[in-house]
Formats: sequence, C-alpha cells, structure tokens
Amino acid sequence: MERVLSFFGRPLVSFVEVAGQMALLFYSTIKLMFKKPFRTKLLLKQIEFIGANSLSVIILTGSFTGMVFAFQSYIGFHKFGADQLVGTVVALAMARELGPVLSAIMVAARAGSAITAEIGTMKVTEQVDALNAMAVDPVHYLFVPRILAGLIVMPMLNAITVLCGVVGGYLVSIKVLGINKTLYLDYMYTYIEFDDFANGMMKSLVFGGIVTLVGCYKGFMTRGGAEGVGRATTESVVMACVLILIFDYILTAFMF
Amino acid sequence: MEYAIECLDLHKSFGVHKIHKGIDLKIVKGAITYIIGPSGTGKSVLLKQLCGLMPPTKGKVIVNGQDITVMKPEELVQMRKKFGILFQNAALFDSMNVYENVAFPLVEHTKLPKSKIDKIVQEKLRLVGLRNIEDKMPSELSGGMRKRVGLARAIALEPDIMLYDEPTTGLDPIMCDVVDNLINDTQKELGITSIVISHDIESTLKIADYIAMLYDGKVVLYGTSEDFKTTDNPYVKQFFSASKEGPIKIM
Repeated sequence: MERVLSFFGRPLVSFVEVAGQMALLFYSTIKLMFKKPFRTKLLLKQIEFIGANSLSVIILTGSFTGMVFAFQSYIGFHKFGADQLVGTVVALAMARELGPVLSAIMVAARAGSAITAEIGTMKVTEQVDALNAMAVDPVHYLFVPRILAGLIVMPMLNAITVLCGVVGGYLVSIKVLGINKTLYLDYMYTYIEFDDFANGMMKSLVFGGIVTLVGCYKGFMTRGGAEGVGRATTESVVMACVLILIFDYILTAFMF
Repeated sequence: MEYAIECLDLHKSFGVHKIHKGIDLKIVKGAITYIIGPSGTGKSVLLKQLCGLMPPTKGKVIVNGQDITVMKPEELVQMRKKFGILFQNAALFDSMNVYENVAFPLVEHTKLPKSKIDKIVQEKLRLVGLRNIEDKMPSELSGGMRKRVGLARAIALEPDIMLYDEPTTGLDPIMCDVVDNLINDTQKELGITSIVISHDIESTLKIADYIAMLYDGKVVLYGTSEDFKTTDNPYVKQFFSASKEGPIKIM
C-alpha cells in the first residue's frame, strides 16, 4: 500500500512543486516588468535573438507545412469534387492551429534551449550568485527581458508562419494541382474570418510566454556542472513542447 | 574590539545532512580573517550565509549590528551592497568584456556619468595590476587574470566587507603570491574587513590577522597566526602537517 502511494504520490508532489515554482516565478517576472530600471538594450538583444534569428527557420517551416497541407487535403477534397475548398482548409488550419503550434515548437527548439543553456551555465559557474551578490535581482536581470521578448515576438513569428503557409498552399494548389485560381481565392475570402487569425495570435502569445518561462526556469534550476546544463537543456525543450500541446488543447476548448 | 560580522549559534542543514552544528564566530572589523578547514566542511556555505545569499537553518548573523536573518528581501538587497565577493572561479559574466564586468555594479547602482565610470574602472584595474585589457572577453584571460578582474569588480563599489572564496586555489605558486599580496594590499589601501576562505596554509599564516578553523560543523580553534603556530589542538596540528593520522576523518 505504502509503495503504491509513493509510486503515484511522488510524481504528483514534484509536479505540484514545479508548477508552483513556475507560477511564482512568472508572477514575480510580471511584477518586475514594471519596475525600473528598464533594460531596453537587453530586451532588444533578446528580441533579435528569439525573433529575428528565428526568421529563416520559421519561413521554411511555414511554407513547407502549407505546401504539404495543400497536397494532403487535395486528396480528400478531390473525391467530393470540392477542390476549390483546399485554400480555405489550409488557411483555417494554419491560422488556428498549425501556425501557432509549429512556430512555438521551432522557437522552443532554437531559442528556448539556448536560453536554458545560457542561464544554466551562469548558474553552475556562480554568475547567478554573483548577480545576487552585487544586489541585482537575477529574475529582473535575466527573466524579464527574455520573457518579455517572447511575448512580443512570438505572435509576430506566428503571423509570418501563417502567411508563408497560406502562400505555400496557394502556390501548390494553383501551380501544381491546377485548381481554379478565382474560385480558390473566392472561397478563402468568404470563409476565413478575422477571428480565426486572432484566435491563433492569442495562442501564440501564450506559447511565447511558455517557451521563454520554461527556458528561464529550467536554466535557473540547473545543478551539477556541464552534465547538468545538458540535461536541463533537453528537459527544457521537452517540457516546453509538451506544455505547448497541452495549453493548445486548453485554449482551443476555451475559445471554441 | 569592534566586530563587522557576528555569527551566533549558526546551524545549517540540507535535508537530513547537517553542515553547520552551531558556529559562533566574530569577525573583527578592519582585519583579515581566514576561515580554514578540510574540503566539504561547509566553508563556502558559511560565506554565503554571512552575506545573506543563503539563509541559515537556525541562528543569527549580525552585520554591523543588524540581524540579517530577519531582514526582508529588499533590505537584504540593500545590505548586500556593503559586500564585495570574489568567487572561486571569479564568476565573471562571460557575455561581457572586462570593462563591462568591472563597470557592472557601477552602472547598476550609481548614476555616475560614463566618464566617471571609465575612470573608476581604470583605477580598479590598475589596483589589481592589470592594464589595457578592457576589451578582452573573460574566456581570453588566464585563471589569475580572471581572479584579478573579479577582484576589481568586487571592489568597484568600495565595499565595507570583502569576501574571498578560495582565492588561490588552482593558481600557480607565483600567481598565488600575487593574489595574496593583492588581498593584503586591498585591505591596507581601503581599510576594509576581509574574510578569506582557504586551505592554503602558507598564505594563511603569512597574511591572516585572525584564523578560524572549521571542522565537523563547528569552529575548532579561533586565534591569531601565532596561536595557530603554537597550538596543541590535534585538529589544527593534523591539518597543518597534512597528515592522514589524527582526529580528522578522511571522506
């Protein structure tokens, strides 16, 4: 009985613990965002790192997803003779689902991991202690610029992903599959609403927070030298991806 | 005698593992105090408790007459500005060059104009015997140079109390001597209280005004260098003679 309890209890306790720590850190980060000094230079550096440097990856991901999606949905729609609806489906899926989720996962892999590795290295080489020792709050100095940059940049990256996906889908449908151009665009304009896009933007705002918060948190909790940094980096990417998918469901159900 | 820091019945444990079992230690103001002891006796942990980076499990730490264990986080941050800390591996920010590292506390905590900060950075670097390295990154520096840059950064805000965590570990004998002299000179020139963690017996006896030896969570002997040279204390004798035989258990 005791063994059964501890088998289920231990992961539960550690889950609650991690969730609590992250919530507290997020809360103090939000609070500290409004506290002087505003580190504009650090923020711009993070926006460049998380946003600008992710552009090429995001453009590739978006266009290829849109292109593949056009092919795949064509197979189904062709059977019903509804070829012209391919554009609507591609745009809908990109805007509501694929854009936010895929861009967030790419950013988690690229920038989230790097954030963890950087803060983790600072932790194990006592640089975080040094910040504390010099009376500088590490949350204010390290977390705020990164998480703020994540919140600002992620929706923009989502917009680019969606745009690339729609363009990619259009090119494949018209040039490769030979769907009627006028009908294709006409249906797309009729059925896609601004809400679909806004929905995805809301999601990517939340995902931007998740990726950067997890990156910072995992880095901050790093222990045990170079090996620890490696472990933390892996855990950061896995945790961010899982959380993105879980929150994707919650947000979808909520905004349905 | 005036004390800069007083530890009263300090206990610290991590889980079931007891590190400190009642440390009473008074650090004399304006003097150099060495804290020595075998590895794993919690010297660094003690140092972090002295400056409020880590709270003790039980007991008091009194800095300049104020108990820091009951302070609010904001008060603790203010109090910490009185301290300068040189970390074991210098803990320089590796995303910044030498100039930015030394200027960091000045940029964070003062409103000095850039020209004034430039002057202070140069002066502090000169004090630790470094010149024309402002543009170098920490990864380009040798171990000894990193420690000296770390020291320059630690004294940039002119602290009242300087803490050194194993300043000579991992340095060659000549560099050890340079760092020892630096600790001595910094203390003489700025008149600050210095606390040094070390297991380098030679430097300890050479420059310490007072020495405290830590073993098994307690202070086994506190006194001047002379006291330590003439003591019969078996722990101290074993540690100083670097012998396997004696009351100190080898882990």
